Amino acid sequence: MTTGLTNTVAEAIPTFQGYVYPNEATLHPVWSTLIVIYPYITGLVAGAFIMASLVRVFNVKALAPVYRLSMLTAFAFLLCAPLPLLFHLGHPERNYEIMMTPHLTSPMAVFGFVYAWYLMAVLLLELWFDFRQDLVKWSEVTPGFQGVLYRALTLGVTDVSEQSVRLDMKMEWILSIVGIPSAFLLHGYVGFIFGSIKANPWWGNVLMPIMFILSAIVSGIALCVFNYLVLTWIRRKTVDMRCLDTMAMFLFYALVVDAVVETLDVLHRGFAAEEGFAVLQTMIREKLFYTLNLGQVIIGTLVPLLLLGSLQLLRRRVPELVRRRMIFGSGAMILIGVLAMRWNVVMGGQFFSKSLRGVMSYKMEFAGQEGWLISAVIMCLPFIILTVLVKLFLSERLPASEPGPHAAAMGQPH
Amino acid sequence: MRRFRLPPQILRLVLLTLGIVGTYLVARTLLVPESFGAYGWYRGAALEEIASRTPVFAGKKACAECHADIQHKLDKFEHKTLSCEACHGANREHALNHDVVPTTVPGSLCLRCHEANPSRPAWFKQIVVKNHYGDKCTDCHLPHQPSQSP
Amino acid sequence: MKTQFNRRGALARLGAVLAGVLALPVARTAKAAVQNFFTSSGAPKGYDPTEHKWLICLDATKCIGCGLCAEACKKENDVPQGPYYRTWVERYIITKPKPGSAETRGETLVDSPAGGMHGFPECPVPEDQIEQSFFVPKLCNLCEHPPCVQVCPVGATFKAPDGAVLIDKNYCIGCAFCVQACPYGARFLSPVTHTAEKCTLCYHRTTRGLKPACVEICPAEARIFGDLKNLQPDDPLRKFYESNRTQVLKPHLGTGPRVLYAGLDEEVR
Repeated sequence: MTTGLTNTVAEAIPTFQGYVYPNEATLHPVWSTLIVIYPYITGLVAGAFIMASLVRVFNVKALAPVYRLSMLTAFAFLLCAPLPLLFHLGHPERNYEIMMTPHLTSPMAVFGFVYAWYLMAVLLLELWFDFRQDLVKWSEVTPGFQGVLYRALTLGVTDVSEQSVRLDMKMEWILSIVGIPSAFLLHGYVGFIFGSIKANPWWGNVLMPIMFILSAIVSGIALCVFNYLVLTWIRRKTVDMRCLDTMAMFLFYALVVDAVVETLDVLHRGFAAEEGFAVLQTMIREKLFYTLNLGQVIIGTLVPLLLLGSLQLLRRRVPELVRRRMIFGSGAMILIGVLAMRWNVVMGGQFFSKSLRGVMSYKMEFAGQEGWLISAVIMCLPFIILTVLVKLFLSERLPASEPGPHAAAMGQPH
Repeated sequence: MRRFRLPPQILRLVLLTLGIVGTYLVARTLLVPESFGAYGWYRGAALEEIASRTPVFAGKKACAECHADIQHKLDKFEHKTLSCEACHGANREHALNHDVVPTTVPGSLCLRCHEANPSRPAWFKQIVVKNHYGDKCTDCHLPHQPSQSP
Repeated sequence: MKTQFNRRGALARLGAVLAGVLALPVARTAKAAVQNFFTSSGAPKGYDPTEHKWLICLDATKCIGCGLCAEACKKENDVPQGPYYRTWVERYIITKPKPGSAETRGETLVDSPAGGMHGFPECPVPEDQIEQSFFVPKLCNLCEHPPCVQVCPVGATFKAPDGAVLIDKNYCIGCAFCVQACPYGARFLSPVTHTAEKCTLCYHRTTRGLKPACVEICPAEARIFGDLKNLQPDDPLRKFYESNRTQVLKPHLGTGPRVLYAGLDEEVR
């Protein structure tokens, strides 16, 4: 469709091929790296939470050692989830309007409430019920500021009677059950932000929320694997191989489903080949070649599938150290692959004109609102928060927890 | 007689929730703009604000109030569809205050429309400059009566 | 027991306060609704947005591609310098098919240098290779179901009762969701206000009884503007839609544009 002749017209503006609407001929797309990491972070939250829910709801005992770590991971990333959104606004100081006059037909406005619900009503509550008993205990034995903090976090409820703790457990179970659909909603809604844009054939797709949820689960489990291995390595603890193997198993299954749905999406697009398919093809062949084929497909999906899949078959015969390295490698690659997927979705949707007649180029900047520096900083932030949280709530120096689903929580000697 | 009592942790959370919801609602009354919702889910006053902008182009009617003679001439010829300001430029300042000198007409204006271009509709009068007579359009055409010579 | 009682008392008081707080915005909205708008000094007097319904018609067979409309719009609305346009003109050049190709036409070339506001450069295709060529003016499509309004998270962009789709620049948070949602590329983020910006239907003119700048300035009567609620018997608007078979852009998206075209080609989108 767009060949020789078209290019001669477009030569006047070298960064474009074919025709783009005059308003689209800006230096960079209106949504850039910040909006790439926004669904990435939100997905990690949802995935880490669902991973933790496996312990509570489905009673997967092998995963108990990473329950609290996963929950704290989800919490640390959730705190940072709105930051990229906030920083990309033209008027960040008006952000409160989203909560004050939320326009309910807007996926972005509803996200504010889904986010608030998930943070306050699900994650914080579940964490509180899980830690309450320990907080009471820790507040009694820890001196100084830390002790005051623990006491404050008990919200003044010091009742740790058997009956009361039983209620905590019950509440946690209920919250986990409420939490799974909430986590789906949280990230499904992020997918819907893109999927609802009918003007954009790369985004407007009913499968989008589902693909976002599945890739979120995959990335969340991968993050928990990554965090768990890094933490045990820092603390010079032995890795609980049963736990790690179970995580790898769930990671594999989730990845299979995710890969299948994403393949279905590609098949559907190719088969329907609707208006604009030609421009999407050009984009895949040129603009997204590396991030899609190398990043998302090979690094993010095929290699981990191969590694994790072979582990499912040959688990007994692979030595522990190799297994650990294979799982760690798969986790790290999946984390890169899912980031590439977010890039492909967000940037891909802005690399072609809505006139379906041309493609834009984009050179990433370093500094400024559109630069990748601020995105990198925001990406580091949850890890810093998580470090503090782990120091405060998974410290080896704190007295051990009561037996519960998290009996062998991180940092406790095995 | 045992009365049902909320467990302490639940009670604490209920109070906390009420506090948060209450704070939200108080904030809402303070922060939602007054005219919000007058016509729909937006600030009704915005309509007035947007309408408050000062126009730049006066419009043909305003010109005709004083220059009726030219308007009459114009109406009899092909250029009747033209707005005065299409050639003379935006002149609302002049229309409001006649002491303000109106903008002058740029020289190459005719060709902007009449230079031959295969994308222009065939019914529209176009010239290929190098094949057309003379240097200056106004030597042969009166702008207000284009088919007449000066 | 005493503490229990106090807590209940506190709860009851809190409940009463909440009920009051909840009712307040509702009461205020009702009050605002009966307020007389357009009362400030700068605004035109006596304009009632519920008494009008604007429509724009564009005749692609009449557009001569002079670009005066795009230029006038920039001037009238102080649109920022650079690739920011509230209205623009596109040039379509459809070439002849290659000999023996059994096609009806060759390639379609589209351009709109600087939105067409300085006119168009010489045609890049020799005249004998052109099958068809024409200009198409574009602007906000004044959708009946505007996807941009649908996605605005705060209610900063809206469809006014008279059909104009407007942006409240003092309320817009600049998230650019609407820019993404507009299928017509009619919106952009202003580098000056850092809010979304678009065609206002020259709201400051139409509310004063003037035509939008682009319509006023169009020398070829390719742009026709009118009020469906106050149609004159000889209204050019009526003449246009009664005598033309009209089309809208991207009808499959269900946006219901209130900008009607005559003389479009299948290549226009």
